Formats: sequence, C-alpha cells, structure tokens
Amino acid sequence: MSKRNDFSGGRAAYDPAMTRRQLLQRSALAAGALSLGSLGGLKSAFAATGEINFWASATLDIEAAGWETFGAESGLDVVFTDNGNDPGPVVARLAAGNAGELFDVAGLQGGSEKELAKQGLIAPWDLSKLKNYDGVWQWAKDIPYLTHEGEVYGIPTVINADSMIALEDRVGIVDSYGVIFDPKLKGKTAMEDAWINSAIFTAMYLKESENAPIGEPGNLTPDELGLVMEFLIKHKRDGQFRTFWSGWEQGVQLVADEEVWVMTGWEPIVYAARERGIKTYYAAPKEGYEGWGNNTVLIKGAVDRGLSDAAHAFTDALLAGYYGCQLGAMRGYCVPTDANVAYAEAHPDAFDKAKVSELAEHVKKKFAGKVYWQNTRPDNFQLYEEWWQKLRNA
Amino acid sequence: MTQVEASARPRRPGLPRPPLAALPAALLVVGLGLAPLALIAFWSFWRFDPATYWITPDYTLASYAALMDTGRLPVLLRTLGLSALTAALATLLALPAAAVIGLMSGPRKAAVLIALFTVPFFTSALIRAFAWRLVLGRNGAINQTLVAAGLIDEPLEWLLFSNFAVIVGMLAAYLPFAVVPLVLAFGRIEPSVIRASQDLGAGFWTTFRRVILPLVLPGAVAGFLFVFVVALGTSSEIQLLGGAGDSSISIMINDVMRVVNFPLAFAIATVVVAVAVAVLLVAVRFFRLSKLFEDLGT
Repeated sequence: MSKRNDFSGGRAAYDPAMTRRQLLQRSALAAGALSLGSLGGLKSAFAATGEINFWASATLDIEAAGWETFGAESGLDVVFTDNGNDPGPVVARLAAGNAGELFDVAGLQGGSEKELAKQGLIAPWDLSKLKNYDGVWQWAKDIPYLTHEGEVYGIPTVINADSMIALEDRVGIVDSYGVIFDPKLKGKTAMEDAWINSAIFTAMYLKESENAPIGEPGNLTPDELGLVMEFLIKHKRDGQFRTFWSGWEQGVQLVADEEVWVMTGWEPIVYAARERGIKTYYAAPKEGYEGWGNNTVLIKGAVDRGLSDAAHAFTDALLAGYYGCQLGAMRGYCVPTDANVAYAEAHPDAFDKAKVSELAEHVKKKFAGKVYWQNTRPDNFQLYEEWWQKLRNA
Repeated sequence: MTQVEASARPRRPGLPRPPLAALPAALLVVGLGLAPLALIAFWSFWRFDPATYWITPDYTLASYAALMDTGRLPVLLRTLGLSALTAALATLLALPAAAVIGLMSGPRKAAVLIALFTVPFFTSALIRAFAWRLVLGRNGAINQTLVAAGLIDEPLEWLLFSNFAVIVGMLAAYLPFAVVPLVLAFGRIEPSVIRASQDLGAGFWTTFRRVILPLVLPGAVAGFLFVFVVALGTSSEIQLLGGAGDSSISIMINDVMRVVNFPLAFAIATVVVAVAVAVLLVAVRFFRLSKLFEDLGT
C-alpha cells in the first residue's frame, strides 16, 4: 500500500504537541462550530450547485462534517470516496474500469497526470474558472508533472517534503542521506518498502554527494536506475538495512522501539516517537528533501456529463481557505495557498490563525532549499518494479 | 466400511438425489471459484498494452518468460519452501495437541480446547504479526528477559526481521489449521483398536507408529495442506517480520499490480494455483486423503 493512505485515522502531519485524541477532539469541535452556522452567510462567489464525486486519497479527506461545511460554502454536495492512493490501481480503474463514469474529480499523488492526459482520461483545467488558483504558491504551480502540452492538468492541493528521521542519542545530528548507507550503522538503518520513495532518496544522495551522473532523481533513465538500484542492492547484501518499512504503525514502532536509528520517512513519525520519550528529530539533509504533492485532476467523464463547471467550482473551493484550514487542523497537511491564513484571520472563532500560519511557514521553509519531486509514474516505471524485485531478492 | 460400500449407501427418504443436492454448491464453486481462475489463466497469455493501459489478446508466453527474470522465480520457490516448512512444523506441533484433544479429552473439554485454538483468529493477521515485533524486537520481551537473566550481553538481532521470525509468526497464526483436521482424525480412531494393539504386546511407540499414525495420516496431510495453502498466500508475516525487502508470492503480485503489469500478475497467480492443485492431487493420490471422508453420515 502506498503511504499517504495509511493515515485515515487522522495523523497530525505537523503539530508536535497534538495527540491523536486531541486531534480528534479539535476536529469534532471545529466541525461542530462550523455546522452550527458560525460561518453562515459566507457562501462563496463561485458557488455552483450539484453533486461532485471526489475520488481521492484519504490525505485529502476532511470527513463528513468538514465536507458538509464545505458544501454549505460552495453550494456543492461533495461525496468523498477513498481511492487508496496507489497510483497503479487508480490509473487502471480510470483507463479500463468504470471510475470515469462514477467520479468527477480525482486527487492523486503526483506523477500520473501526464499519462492520464495522454490517454484522454483527464481534461485540462480552465484556469480562468479557478479564481483562487492565483493565490497558489508559485513553486507549487511549477511542479513539473502538473502540465502536459502547455495545459494544466493537476492542481496542487496538498504539498509537503520528506527526509529522514534520526535518533539524536544514537547518531548525533546528521545532515546527509549518506548516514543511511554508513557501514558504522550496519543493521541500524531502514528505508521505505516502496521504490517511489527509496529510489529517489538514494538517487538524491548519489547525485548530490557522490557526484553520480544522475539528471532528475524523480525520473531516472534506465542507466541511472541501474546505478541507483545496484547501490541499494550492494548495501542490502552487506546487511546495512534492518528492514524496509511500510505504513504508519510500522514506521513509528521502528523508531520508538529503537529498532532503527536512522531511516527515511515521514515527519509525523518524529512527533509520535517523541510522545513516547524518544529523542528524535527530522533531518534537513544537504542533498535536499523529497517533495510530494497530492493533486486534483478533472476526470474526462465529468466533462462529458456536463459537470465541468461544477468540478471547477469544487476545485476552486478547495483553494478558497476553509478546506486548507480544516485539512491542516485535522491532518496537519498544507494546502499551498495563503488563502488559508486569510480565512483563519477572518474566522477566528473556527481556526487559530497562528497555527495555520505556522504550518504554512514550516512547509515553505522546507521548500526554500533543495527539493526533488517525488514522481509516482516515472517514464520507466515498470523497470523500477523489476529492479525493486531484484533488490528484494538480493 | 470401504469406499464401494459407502457409495452404495441407501438414500435417506425425503432428501433430494445427491447430484441435485450438490448442484447449488457446485454452481457456486464453478461460478465464483473455477471460472475466475480459468479467466485469470486465459488472460495470463495476453499482452499488456501501454497505449490503452489494459491487456490485449496478443497470445504470448512473455509473462511466463518474465517469471524467470528479475528474481521472480526465486520468490516463488522461496515462498513454496517457506510454506512447506511452516506446514510441516505446524503438523508436527499439532500432532500431540490433537492427540490430547481427540483421544484423551471428553467432548466438552475437547470443544473448549479446540475453541482455544481459534483465539488467534479473533484479531487481524496484521495485528498478530505486528505483535510479534514487540516480542522479538531488539528491545522486545524475549531479548530483555535474556539480557536480564545474564544469558546474553547484547540483544539477539536475528530474532526479528529474519526467516526465524517469519516462521514463528506463521506458526502461531496457522497452527489451528493443522490441529482441527488432526483432531477429527484422532476422534475417528476406535479405542478398541488401540486396546487390541496393547493386548498384542505393543508398547506406546509401537502402537503410535504402527496403528495410530497410519490412521491419522490423512488428517495430518489435510492439516499440512490447509497450512501450506494459507501460508502460500500470506504477506503480513513476511512484510512485518521478514528481513529487509523480503518477498513472497502475494507481495510480488501486489508489486506487479502496482505497475499495472496485469498479465504477469495473472501468470504468477496461475502458476501458484497450478502448484497448489498439484500438491492436492499428490496428497489425494499418495496419502489417502479420501479416508477422511469415509463413513461420513453413517
């Protein structure tokens, strides 16, 4: 399973002081306040009517109460369906299944847009109908795989950047992915059991610190991929990795029980481990972060059904502020627009502007440095799988 | 009663004729079991078309050839080996437990003991496997106990993320599958047969080896098969307890499906089903599995 889908239980991606219970309580409080009409009369100018079937990863879900408020503001009745976030089945269902008939807008971990656009399964967005798109941070708009043949197919809806988690008492302060491959830490390191992440982290390290001839770590050529995977295979054979992990619970357990001392992974694991008394931190590697985005795409079937305007209104509403505030409060994820802060400022009874700002600045700070974008569908994606199989067997 | 006698058993009044009574179940098995499997086998000879992102009927053995590449065959063999080893160990462990339940316990006690063996199924496979990480880990209960007792200085790394851990996890999870058919087999042994053996001067081991074991062999084989087939399809124990990136057939199928290589996934599944059927046929042919079903209903 791919990673973002593992948090439907509501992980906080940023606030280190927030426990799961607090998170749920806050969500309920916020939802309750909103549903009582504290935000009544704020129906947006772009409001349209109709039902929108939003088929996306759980990362983008603000749950029933949140969607209810969202619907009250946008005039849209949103039906959310979790798509599992694994790009393979999602693309396959769009291409060969009935997803195009069932859903109007999809939210995908970035990288599949070009492929879907080529096959005519998604339609380009008409940016003139997305008034809030202007407020999206420029560097988020510039994610390379959002466009195809000059048209925008993906709207960045959630943005973050990953690096590695380290136990300070065990490895000190580290600033390079090289520590993952350091023989002194043999058997004490781990990477994710997913080529989508582990190949790019390794490629970033080899490119930036070993001067390996690698162009784009997120889209490796067959030769580059061979170089990266041979490197991983060698280290696996040497017993460098304690395990390859997947899923939130596994990640937390590995760090909290000190099974591994340093591993590539997600920032919230740091906060979960700290809650269990482990002195850990999220490293800022000199090679940069792995940026990832969950992007919204317009399913061609919606256009065919005459729902293009409603789909645009829906996506515009995602960028209007409420959704960003609610998603940040619920899951700690950041919608890349300053509209969130403006919305929180206008609605102090519902959201804490300082917290909304803090989340935005935290993400912006990561992206101020070097970032390589995760790509769920590199050009040679089937070759990636073959190499991953070789790595498994090494 | 022999098989011939059993098949000649008179039909009870009011019951439909056997073929008719079996029809709904047979339709279910064919419609929901065999037909999809046949379709999967058929599609495994098609080709993936990157243009349409779907399979196309260009009949080819390419997916089967791909099975031999990139380390997929070793995964198949390794999973088969691991499953066979787990099934064999489970059967061995189940033998004494089933003997106690089937031979030495009264019906009420036997029911309680059998129920105890179902406890692992009260929770999900994922949770079961995950729990073993807390027991076998570097700071887990076993290592802490061994260190505290002064038996080791450093935690044993190989307890977790190893084949050992995988087998422990699978045994704990799937042992009941071996116990139940063995209990049934032990329960069918007439006490008079054991008494006759003893009357003829056979000791415990001779009676066990020459009388009991042949009688429970079909149950042992059935138990082995149950565990083998379930272990063949598992992924939780391998992913959570195995070494870095350890694979199994189902993990490999998942990996392949993620990159929408459907024909290869179908080919892997077809080979697995073929192997499972072959093992079943061998069991039926050479280990008298049908003995388990003799005398039913009499």
